[in-house]
Amino acid sequence: MSKKSTSDVMLDCYQVSKNFGGLQALNDVNLKVKHNTIHSLIGPNGAGKSTLLNVITGMITPTHGSVVFDDTPMLDLKPHEINQLGLAKVFQTPAIFPEMTLIKNVCIPALAARDGSFKLNMFQKAGMKSIESFAEETLEEVGLKDSIHKEARFLSRGDKRRLELAICLAHRPKMLLLDEPTAGMARHETENTILLLRKIADRGMTMVIVEHDMNVVFALSETISVLAQGTIIAEGTPDEVKGNPKVIEAYLGEEQE
Amino acid sequence: MEYVVSILKKFPLTVFALVVLTMPFWFPWIGGYGGLATKIMIWALFALGFDILLGFTGYLSFGHAIFFGVSAYATGLMFKHFSDEIIPAMIVAVIVGTLASVIIGYLTLKKSGIYFSILTLAFGEMLHSSALSTFGSFTGGENGLTLPDMIPSMLGIEMRGEVMFYMTAAVLILGYYIARRISASPFGLILKAIKSNQERLEYTGIDVQKYKLGAFVISAIYASVAGSLMVVYEPYVGTEYLRWSTSGNLVLMSVMGGMGTLIGPIIGAAFMLYFENVLSVPLGEEWLLVLGLIFMAIVIFLPGGFTDGFKLIYKKLIGKKSDGEEN
Repeated sequence: MSKKSTSDVMLDCYQVSKNFGGLQALNDVNLKVKHNTIHSLIGPNGAGKSTLLNVITGMITPTHGSVVFDDTPMLDLKPHEINQLGLAKVFQTPAIFPEMTLIKNVCIPALAARDGSFKLNMFQKAGMKSIESFAEETLEEVGLKDSIHKEARFLSRGDKRRLELAICLAHRPKMLLLDEPTAGMARHETENTILLLRKIADRGMTMVIVEHDMNVVFALSETISVLAQGTIIAEGTPDEVKGNPKVIEAYLGEEQE
Repeated sequence: MEYVVSILKKFPLTVFALVVLTMPFWFPWIGGYGGLATKIMIWALFALGFDILLGFTGYLSFGHAIFFGVSAYATGLMFKHFSDEIIPAMIVAVIVGTLASVIIGYLTLKKSGIYFSILTLAFGEMLHSSALSTFGSFTGGENGLTLPDMIPSMLGIEMRGEVMFYMTAAVLILGYYIARRISASPFGLILKAIKSNQERLEYTGIDVQKYKLGAFVISAIYASVAGSLMVVYEPYVGTEYLRWSTSGNLVLMSVMGGMGTLIGPIIGAAFMLYFENVLSVPLGEEWLLVLGLIFMAIVIFLPGGFTDGFKLIYKKLIGKKSDGEEN
C-alpha cells in the first residue's frame, strides 16, 4: 500500500526539543520509525509523549530539531498539509463529526484523499457514489457496517474510536499515529482493538502508538521507545525494553501499580 | 397529510417555485400587498445566502449588512451616474460586494466564535459610520442616496409592479436551487463538517480556511444580489442598509426560521416582514414587544425554529394517524 521510500525510515525526528517557558518538555529526542512496523512510545505521565506527538502532527512547533516524514521535512507545515502527506492521527478522545451519519463521517476524508485539501465542487454529485462505496468498505473493515446511517453521536465510546479509525484509514495514509487507542475501554473492547490494529498493520501500515496499557504495547509493538523527562532512555524490542533496568527505575519512580 | 409531505419531499423545488410564483394571487387574502411580496423575496434571498454561512459552518457574522449595503450603494451610484439599466448596475454591484467579502472574510475568518462575530460587527460599524461621514459626498450621508423620479429598467422594460415581482421571484427560485445543490455537494458536506468538528477536519487533510472563505463569499454574493435588488425595487439607499440592525434582523430571521435548513431562513424572513408590515397594524406601537416575545418563545421552546415546529406538528399528526382512524 505504501510507496517505497529511498530509505527504510519513514518518520525521522532529529534532536527535537521543546521548551514551554522554563519547562523542558522534550530534550534532544531522536526517533526513527521504520516502514511497516508498529512503534510504541511509552513512558510515565509527563514524560513528553503527547508533546512529541503534537510536534509530529504540526500542532506545536519545536524549539529546535527537525521532523522528516517520508523524505519531506514537516516543520512549518499546517496540520492539513501534514495529513495530505499521508500521516493521520487518531486522537485520545474520539474526534468525529457527531451530528453526521457514519457514512458521511467517512466520506469527508475520502473526498480529501481524492480532491486534495480544497476543491470548489459545489455542483458535483456524480462521483459521490464511488466515494460512498469506498466509505462503506472502510466502515466494514473496522466492523461498523451495520450502522452506517446512524448519527455518530449515538455510538458507544468504543465504536466512536472505531469510527475515528475509519476516518483516518479512508484517507489511505502511509502512517497512523494513535494516541492511547484503548484508553477507557473494557477488556474485550481492548482485545478487539488489538486484533483490528494488527489486521491493519499486516496489510502494510506503519503505526506509532502512544499507550499506557502495557498489554497492548507488548501485544502489538515491534519496537518500543521509552520516554522519561523529555528524553528517550531506552529503545528496542519488547523483550529488550522489559529487562532494561533504566526503564524499571523510571516506572517504579512514578507509578506504584 | 402524508401525501402532502411526500410531495414536498419529492419535489421541493417545484413546490417552492409554485408557492412563490402564485404569491400575487394568495398573498392579498392574508392582508399582504404586491410591494411587500417583492420585499419579502429580496430579504428571503439575503437570509438564504446567510444560511450557507451561519447554518452550514456555524460562523455567526454580525456584519452581513456590509455586503447588502455596499452593493446597494454601488447600484444606486450606477443608476445616478451611468444609466437606469439594471443589468450593468447589478453586475457592478455584485462584483463590488464580492470583492469586499474576499477582503473582509480573509481578515475576519482567522478568528472563530465570538471573536469572529465581533470582528465582523466592527467592520460593519466602521463602514456604516464612514458612509455617514468620510464618504458622505458619494452616499448622501444621513439623507441617503436619493434617486428622484428614477424607474430602473431591464432592456427597456420598466421594473415595477408585477414585472419587478416576477423578476425577483425568478432570482429567488434560482438562488434556492443553487443553495440546494451546494447543500448536497461535497463542498456543502465539508461546510457542515466545519460546524460539527473543525479540528478533526483540519487533521483530515482539509484546508478549512479556504472552505470558510468560500462559504463567506458565496453568502456575500447572495447578500449583494439582494442589496442590489432592493435599490431596483425602491430607488433609494439609506445608511441603515449598512447598520448593524440590518445584520441583526438577518440573524433573527435565521434563528426564527431554523438555521441550516435553507427553507427556514426564507420562512423567517417572510414572517418577520409580514409581521412588521401587516400584523403590526392592529398591534400599534407594541408590535416590537410582541415580536420580541415570539422570538424568545421560539428560542426557548423550539430551538430549531419554525421548521422544527412543522416537523413536530407533522410527527404528532402521523402519530395520531397510526393509532387512530383520523384522516
